[in-house]
Amino acid sequence: MTGRCGVVVAHGRLADGLISALSRVAGEQDSVWALSNEGLSGADLEAKIAALIEDRCAGRDAYLLSDMEGGSCGQACGRLLAKGTVKAVLYGVNLPLLVEFVFLREESFDRFVTAAVEKGRRALGVQV
Amino acid sequence: MSVVLFRVDERLIHGQVVVGWARQLRPRRIIVVDDALAEDALEQSIYRTGMPEGIDADFWSEAQAVRELPAVLQSTERAFVLTADLATMAHLTLRVEGIEEVNVGCIHHGGRRVLHYVRLDEGDEQLIDEMSDRGVRVVARDVPSSTPMRLGAQARG
Repeated sequence: MTGRCGVVVAHGRLADGLISALSRVAGEQDSVWALSNEGLSGADLEAKIAALIEDRCAGRDAYLLSDMEGGSCGQACGRLLAKGTVKAVLYGVNLPLLVEFVFLREESFDRFVTAAVEKGRRALGVQV
Repeated sequence: MSVVLFRVDERLIHGQVVVGWARQLRPRRIIVVDDALAEDALEQSIYRTGMPEGIDADFWSEAQAVRELPAVLQSTERAFVLTADLATMAHLTLRVEGIEEVNVGCIHHGGRRVLHYVRLDEGDEQLIDEMSDRGVRVVARDVPSSTPMRLGAQARG
């Protein structure tokens, strides 16, 4: 049992797609899951995230990874952070950030969040 | 008219509004009319998170909106006015002159499924009919690229 788990919260099918992509590059995971906001009110999305954490995190520290800082996904994540349900919200999730999340989850909190976000940020660029 | 969008959307400030509508209509500010939110600093800060640069958010009670919206309507500043439910918007259309069209975005709270993002109960349908009877067009359209759909008994024939 590892110390951290996470829920990717995003629009449309992005979260499912990211988890699917993650399993291709890093193998099947037992610590990150996907949720979409499709068809859900803000309160329903928040309740669904909380239920998933309650059900699967089993005492591990929970983290949220949202597609955008704001928006309905980011807002639901922000409310759960304010309530203390999760330790942190990492927003702007991409595949490199998610890979780092999985591989760094035994590191200390500061090193873990800084390194994961930095990895995601450094993964952006352009080739011409 | 400087309020370029009156919208009912239970998610209020979210992706469809700040990406879809704001990129198209370029508002300078988004005015959320909601009595509970107007008193809740934490919730306001959550809604302000991730707002695009150059757009301000205001959170007004219904009473404040009734007082201040006429001046916004007269000004040249481009604004969106959002409410989370049809009842608040219906009150505004009654008490503020010059609201000709109401856009309907996400309403998921139950009742009859009208579109994949709109479910209306009897109370909602009644509010839409009342607004329509007063000459306000009520049109469902989640993002600008969607086909608009007129709501209410008149539209259904």
